[in-house]
Amino acid sequence: MKMNMKVALACTTAMLGTAAAAQTVTIGITQNNVGVDSYQTTYERAFIAAAEANPDVNAVVLDAGGDVARQIAQMEDLIQQEVDAIIIWPTNGEAVIPAVRKAHQAGIPVIVTNSNIAEQGFDFVASFSGPDNITQGSRSAEIMCDKFKDMGIENEARVVQISGQPGYTTAIERQKGFDDRLPEVCPNVTLVETQPGDWNREKSQQVMEAFLVKYDDIDGVYSGDDNMGVGALNAAKAAGREGIIFVGATNFAVGYDAMAAGEYWGSIYQSPVDDAEAALKTAIDTLNGVELPFLNYFDTPKITQDNMGEFTKPVF
Amino acid sequence: MTGPTKQGVGNFLAKQGILIAFVIFMIGFALANQRFIAMDNIFGVVRSSAILGVMALGVTFVVIGGNLDLSVGSMMSFSTIVVLDLHDKVGPALAIPMMFALTLLLGAFIGFLVGYLKLNSLIVTLGMLSAIHGLTLTWSGGKNMDIADKSGTWFSFFGQDRIMGIPVPILIFALLAVILSMVLSKTPFGRKVYAVGGNGQAATFSGIPRARIVFMTYLVSAFCVATAGLLQASRSLGSQNTVGQGMELEVLAAVILGGASLLGGSGTVFKTVIGVLILGFIQNGLLLVGLDFYVQYMVTWAIIILAVWLDVAAKRGRLWSPIA
Repeated sequence: MKMNMKVALACTTAMLGTAAAAQTVTIGITQNNVGVDSYQTTYERAFIAAAEANPDVNAVVLDAGGDVARQIAQMEDLIQQEVDAIIIWPTNGEAVIPAVRKAHQAGIPVIVTNSNIAEQGFDFVASFSGPDNITQGSRSAEIMCDKFKDMGIENEARVVQISGQPGYTTAIERQKGFDDRLPEVCPNVTLVETQPGDWNREKSQQVMEAFLVKYDDIDGVYSGDDNMGVGALNAAKAAGREGIIFVGATNFAVGYDAMAAGEYWGSIYQSPVDDAEAALKTAIDTLNGVELPFLNYFDTPKITQDNMGEFTKPVF
Repeated sequence: MTGPTKQGVGNFLAKQGILIAFVIFMIGFALANQRFIAMDNIFGVVRSSAILGVMALGVTFVVIGGNLDLSVGSMMSFSTIVVLDLHDKVGPALAIPMMFALTLLLGAFIGFLVGYLKLNSLIVTLGMLSAIHGLTLTWSGGKNMDIADKSGTWFSFFGQDRIMGIPVPILIFALLAVILSMVLSKTPFGRKVYAVGGNGQAATFSGIPRARIVFMTYLVSAFCVATAGLLQASRSLGSQNTVGQGMELEVLAAVILGGASLLGGSGTVFKTVIGVLILGFIQNGLLLVGLDFYVQYMVTWAIIILAVWLDVAAKRGRLWSPIA
């Protein structure tokens, strides 16, 4: 009985919806951990701004604070509120799957943003909107290889890698992209060692100090993001080791500055504003029945000292 | 004839089990990679450990006083962010004392809750861990904090300069360790900290102002955290909001590894320093040996357990206890 009521109600709402020309949709978002870093803080601001700029969108903006349990509770709240679509920035790619399935079963399309959930949950996801981290890793390898070719050391260069937090999808994918692409473009460059810097500048500086003690000859450093890259750069500067090519990903303001100063070679430009706007657009397109690829990536171009003038300095 | 000397050696071993463990690890890593004992590596490790170490010195006071401090990690993030932010607003000469004052204020607040209101220190400082994190984020608006003009400031002195070839962070760590060690072992205040942590009730009955002593230990801890924040900020001249996240447990591990009892009343500054160095050198040693990093976590754990075991074994004079 109750079930029927609900269906009837849903039908009426749907009919009313099609009748009205400009239909207002409610989109709920549960974010990973706003405030933990400037990327996520900027993302939230951009998301709210984009939603406010669109008169047809009503946004419910939530933050899980990095807590899986809280995120699952927020998913349930959004299902209860019967929002039209849910965007989730997973705190954990595995643990949120049951909650995503629940939303799917309630007929609410789920859009995953920034970092994807694990593959077994793909059936319950309408679309993924975010950066392609494997491509980012490949592009970093290409930036580094091109630079080595310019310098004429593509046959003997030695590279170390400082990866993100072990176990994080973003860290794993960027590393995979870099590891796979480097030997394709520069088969004679040696990747000597990879150690994690945990997305942390201080930790990365320590790792780089150890690398510098261990290896007399380092020509390039690839870091999973610029924050760690600048930590590695600090270590090299303190040790007086010059001529090392630093390439990162997720261009941060500090990385941009270091590039302007000629100390840091290149990175991948990933804007949290693009990320947030792409997520909202993906959600709206899904609701409007637009055909989308399941993995709906937004572009993250290469940035180096040569072309940095085309990009504005990141705000984070 | 050899009796007394033998006993003397035995006593020494029993007292310094953790020091012996430390020496054994150093030799082990040095054999695995000669560069481990290169002077620049040793300086590098001690310099990185100095931040953790300075924090651990303060927490040693709190733990000996019979309490815990789980807020030091986020408090360190706070002082780092605050000093970096103020640096560009009011200049380093004012930013540093202002940051110390604000951090001491946080310490005083915790000290008041634990000392005078007698609230459980675990709950108070666990709560403060997230409260201070929130405070830091509110201060910074969630943004990374960076000094705009990195090459034109003397602020980098504390984290990056050397005096007579020795990195400044090491000198500050050593100086603070010596001073705090004297305070703990040679002053009435130090003796009262042991008394309050060893047996609080007895201390009260002997006329020791327990609340005030506990309050003071948190001030010492906050002072050390502020110093650590200064070193951190000066070392990288920029920081994310989570720079100290998780350090409270590393600090606690170093203090306990050094032999301080979680129940209070025992521990020394010197042993905490050894605990800090063990953690620092393990991390560095495993990097130099080049173990796969997933394995490093497990090996780190195994080495810490081994160190604690050696310490306990030295105290009781045998490797395992005959009484099950």
